[in-house]
Amino acid sequence: MVGRSDGELLSVVKAFYFCPHRCPAGQAMKAFPKDYETLFMFSEHTPFSCEAEASDFKSECPPDKKVKKEDLFKFKRGRGDLHVSVVTFGLAAFFLAFFWTETGWNTRKLPDEFGLYLAHQFGLVDLEGRGMRFGRILKQSWFAPMLCVLILVPTTIWNLRASWQVHRWRKRFLQPTGIGYELEKYAAALEFVGYFIGYTVLVPILGYLVSTLALGSYLTWRLGYRTRRWGCISLLSSFAIVLLFRTFLQIKTPGNIWLYDQLPGTLRSYMLTYF
Amino acid sequence: MEAFLAGLNNLMDPHVLIAIALGSIGGLMIGAVPGIGPAIAIAILLPATVFLEDLVSLVLLLGVYGASMYGGAIPAILINTPGTPVNALTTYDGFALTRRGEAGRALSLAYAASFFGGCFSIIAALLALFAFGPYLRDLGALFGQRDILMAAVLGSVLLIAAHRQNMGIAAMLYGFGFLIALIGRQSTRKIDRYTFDIEYLFSGFNLIVVIVGIFALSQALNLMTGKDDDPPEARVSGGVLRGFTELLGNKLVCFMSACYGTIMGIIPGVGEFVAQFFSYSTARALSKQPARFGHGSPEGLIASETANNAVPAAAMIPLLALGVPGEALTAMMMVVFFDAGIKPGPDVFENNPDFLFSLFMALLIINGLVLLTLLVSTRYIAKMIYIPNRFLGAFIMILSFVGVYSIRNSLVDCVFAVVFGFFGFALRRLDWPLVPVVLGLVLGSIIVERLSAGAGKIKFMIDLVNRPVSGTLSAIIVLVIGYIIWSAIKNRGINPQ
Repeated sequence: MVGRSDGELLSVVKAFYFCPHRCPAGQAMKAFPKDYETLFMFSEHTPFSCEAEASDFKSECPPDKKVKKEDLFKFKRGRGDLHVSVVTFGLAAFFLAFFWTETGWNTRKLPDEFGLYLAHQFGLVDLEGRGMRFGRILKQSWFAPMLCVLILVPTTIWNLRASWQVHRWRKRFLQPTGIGYELEKYAAALEFVGYFIGYTVLVPILGYLVSTLALGSYLTWRLGYRTRRWGCISLLSSFAIVLLFRTFLQIKTPGNIWLYDQLPGTLRSYMLTYF
Repeated sequence: MEAFLAGLNNLMDPHVLIAIALGSIGGLMIGAVPGIGPAIAIAILLPATVFLEDLVSLVLLLGVYGASMYGGAIPAILINTPGTPVNALTTYDGFALTRRGEAGRALSLAYAASFFGGCFSIIAALLALFAFGPYLRDLGALFGQRDILMAAVLGSVLLIAAHRQNMGIAAMLYGFGFLIALIGRQSTRKIDRYTFDIEYLFSGFNLIVVIVGIFALSQALNLMTGKDDDPPEARVSGGVLRGFTELLGNKLVCFMSACYGTIMGIIPGVGEFVAQFFSYSTARALSKQPARFGHGSPEGLIASETANNAVPAAAMIPLLALGVPGEALTAMMMVVFFDAGIKPGPDVFENNPDFLFSLFMALLIINGLVLLTLLVSTRYIAKMIYIPNRFLGAFIMILSFVGVYSIRNSLVDCVFAVVFGFFGFALRRLDWPLVPVVLGLVLGSIIVERLSAGAGKIKFMIDLVNRPVSGTLSAIIVLVIGYIIWSAIKNRGINPQ
């Protein structure tokens, strides 16, 4: 918007300033605010709903901030929705692409005649052209994957379309559509995923007790709880988890642990049994 | 009566009694901490149940399930944040009462209503077992493979229909769950499905790996990457016994809400949300002071809490009667049944009737124990609200490791759990529902299993629906699908969903 005069800006905004689903354009235009700059300060809120929460805009659909019981089922598409919808569509396309080779579909014997081949493809006749029991079709290894693909492909396409519509709407009303913020969150989550995998690798080396105490304390520190009090709480909590699951419930842990192998015989077997 | 006494005898086992106590108190605390919830707790506890006896495991999980909703009411009333998602409506009137300085009254009403709802559905189930016990033994003959197949399909359709504004997404995620269930080597024909010659995938995904990933790890990531809440200071004032007498003045609301909870709990795929929604709406419609709803109405609080707590016992009915779980928590409990070698379904009435009595009576004891605990320790349990979210997230992650790694000490299990956890994390960020994935996985397995088993008796397509039960169920399926299409057409142009 830099470089445009106020008049140009106003005309651009006026041209786009209506909500196609709930507010008739005329009504929205009547309520057009004098201070149009507020339009660029929209906070993130539901597209397709004119219940703007943070702008000064007064429309024919007044904002209703009161939570209603109907809101229990309310669903809003937020930022990052389009990108995940693309991924889910990609997954569905992936499963569809491999349907022929990964479900036993293409390992079936095929007859020469095309009509017979087609009927056979749908499981209506067997290779000799005799009618097939419907139950036999249900038993085929490809039947259930076919059902899944039939559910997945249309729903992911539909979802992608709905997501795209919302994305366009957000762009039109100058709402944040960038995925940078979401990517930041996913990257932050990946850091913790790394710790989890690291912990999994450490358990056969250091044992369940030491690894859990180490991870518990480190995560507490990493998340910003760096006082001595929180350190003690995290150590005690980690120890309690080990006591509950390993000592009392005797969950399975690896039989050979490098650290325990360095201990004298009795202590080693004690540690292996209880920690 | 013999089965009843045998069931009672089963409960006298000290291990079972300890499991009841631990489950109830643990569930209460888990419910009181916003951000955990029973699904995560059950997901984490599932692998540990492998090392316990079947009844002990189930009672422990039932304790967590039943008690968490009582606990969830505490933060809902005191700080306007539901402890479990199903306590959402409790905030409307509960917190309004707290702001008026009547926190004690609100808590007391919530406890009394929860206790009534919980006991109502348990007693209804026990009475049904007594009254129809001899006939239920013949249920096995009435329910064939095709009938259970149709029940699973109905559960799936209802699950999707229950996600009113995002049915498309629910169907899509159900499809993903179903597909995950199919990955692996088909048992009868030895054909690999979507394994891509990866050895790990030949046996398919372990249900626990998926559940822990999607529910527990995803929430751990969500909490750790988020911010700590700063809940306002909450003080419990007033006596916590007053609500019991107040409950007597609202008999109609109580009874109606308990009926809603029981009925909605029995219907697969529906659950607490719809139960409390209907219950709250009806209570408001019947009330002499509907304007007070949302502003501290005791009737509103009673309606939502009674309906919520009536669901757990009722939700066990489709699981036990048909082997078809109606929602995520009972789906997780199926793992325990599988480990115990008990196949939930009509046969259970014939082979293990004492087991059924044990479960429902354990639920009754759980409700009593939870109420007693709450009456004496609400002030202390309320302090759990203040545990920081991110700290909780760290320990949920450590506990998730126990859940996944203890299955077979496999690093690959942990890697896949992380993959599912990341997927769940994305769903949580977008506010997409998680339950369809898990129910798709469980119901999908049931559908495939019953399809294969019943295929021998199906010559034509009509054979799928020509039995009394399967015919009735398929008619209901058609009606529900018709309703979905009708509502989609009706809402066209209002909302892109």
